[in-house]
Amino acid sequence: MEYFDIQFMNLTEDDIALKKATHKFAEEVMRPTAKALDTMSAEDVVADGSPLWTFLKKAYELGYHKTLLPEYYGGLGLSPLQVHIVFEELGWGSFGLSVLLGVICFPFYVSCLAGNEELIEKYVKPFCACTDASIRGCWAITEPDHGSDYIASGEDYFTTPKMHGNVQARLEGDEYVINGQKSAWVSGGTIATHALLFLQLDPKHGFGGNGICVLPLDLDGVTKGKPLEKIGQRDLNQGEIYFDNVRIPKSYMLAEPTFYEPLLEMILASANMIMATWSTGIARAAFEEALVYSKERVQGTRPLIEHYAHKQRVFKLFARTEVIRAISRNVLNLNLNVSPPLAEYSLVAKSQCTEMAFQNAHELIQIMGGNGLTREYIAEKLFRDARATLIEDGNNETLERHGGHILAETYPRPPLDF
Amino acid sequence: MAIFTKKVAEELFGELWTRMIKDYGFGKSLKESGISIYFVVSDPDMVMFVDENGPIFGTEAEKKMPVVTMKMKGDIVHKFWLKDLNVPMALALRQIVAKGPVNKVLQLLPLMKPGMEIYPEYCKKFKLPMKA
Repeated sequence: MEYFDIQFMNLTEDDIALKKATHKFAEEVMRPTAKALDTMSAEDVVADGSPLWTFLKKAYELGYHKTLLPEYYGGLGLSPLQVHIVFEELGWGSFGLSVLLGVICFPFYVSCLAGNEELIEKYVKPFCACTDASIRGCWAITEPDHGSDYIASGEDYFTTPKMHGNVQARLEGDEYVINGQKSAWVSGGTIATHALLFLQLDPKHGFGGNGICVLPLDLDGVTKGKPLEKIGQRDLNQGEIYFDNVRIPKSYMLAEPTFYEPLLEMILASANMIMATWSTGIARAAFEEALVYSKERVQGTRPLIEHYAHKQRVFKLFARTEVIRAISRNVLNLNLNVSPPLAEYSLVAKSQCTEMAFQNAHELIQIMGGNGLTREYIAEKLFRDARATLIEDGNNETLERHGGHILAETYPRPPLDF
Repeated sequence: MAIFTKKVAEELFGELWTRMIKDYGFGKSLKESGISIYFVVSDPDMVMFVDENGPIFGTEAEKKMPVVTMKMKGDIVHKFWLKDLNVPMALALRQIVAKGPVNKVLQLLPLMKPGMEIYPEYCKKFKLPMKA
């Protein structure tokens, strides 16, 4: 559906062309791929011959894997508004495949954030030049014993020795030796070639003693688990990664404990605002389905849209979509233009936008009645996909607590008056 | 106490940036990347604008519309040029605050490397400590 953009007066011809091209990809490539993958087992999703691989190859050819990366290293060099335009359309196409494309770039994006020149030369530039989807990252943070508490740096338990990570590393000469296991929730985990790996270096400081490294997953001692079966975002591969005396050069450690928490905050600020941006797509998809269905479905002798209650329902979906877009665009524009990012705004965006997108998906089903529950329509998939976003990248309650911690520690924040 | 006076800073960085632009192709890189930078330094208080045409200071600099603005203290500037500063960490810890596209900020670091190589010469010339 051609969608009016409230900021149309600020869109350049390039922006509009980008929006159209990305929407075409989302509609013609992502949606059919996501629909097919949704009905397959998690193992079949990543098996040879799966539509996933055709999708990824096409996405790489068009450069969607490097949306966030600096032009200087071969990235697309998009403006914050253009990044939002692309991510909204991708989120409209499929939330799960959007997350996959997002985590695919994560080891490389964070290498740039950390300014690691060795890794930029060795991995980032080849990743940007890759057009066959043969280089794929993943975000290996979540652990069997640690979910959202892995990112709760404001909590009093965070730096206590009781916080024992499932992945540990010790320094031996110029190498880190890594042992342990990441949980089945590692997005992109079983198909990745490189991991952005969070791990514990100094257990006596709890998770304050953590680090972040880039780890090529073809090293001796790396094994992977089975892909995870789940109710939503079934097109997003997730699965465990195991480390048995895996050795990496010390220089692959992007952050040791002194830099860990600041870099964690920067990574979270990025991830959370991007989740919000994809949520715009899923909210809009729900609104569009509701509008079309309400015009076509006749009940009580006239189309649903002619019933007062349905008019209000459809309007609420529209209103939420506009609010989500306004919040997520503003935050993306802020935090892609300020270093360091203001994490509290990313937390606002993630927690609020995913909640509202989920409400849209939920109400779409209510509007559609029984049809909304069937696999004949996309509504139930949007609902399942949107449900996962309330937990993904930190459950919203934990993120809101973290936002409150930032307010308590840093507010009132002085203006950036320079 | 400030690591250098405003007068020394303007003279030193005027020479350093001019040389980077003339001798090291920095101006071309800035132009190709569409980057101009406005530095807001405290202790000593000074402002500087740099684009492919070279550095300018004070009220002239204030009139410009930079792509990237960076705010930091004088001792952080000195540490940076001495290669004694982890810039991403300094950004994360707000020792440097930058306004402007993050991608452009990330791009600046490798571009400024030649200046770090010649900075010690200026430390000698202006009698600045070689350690931060």
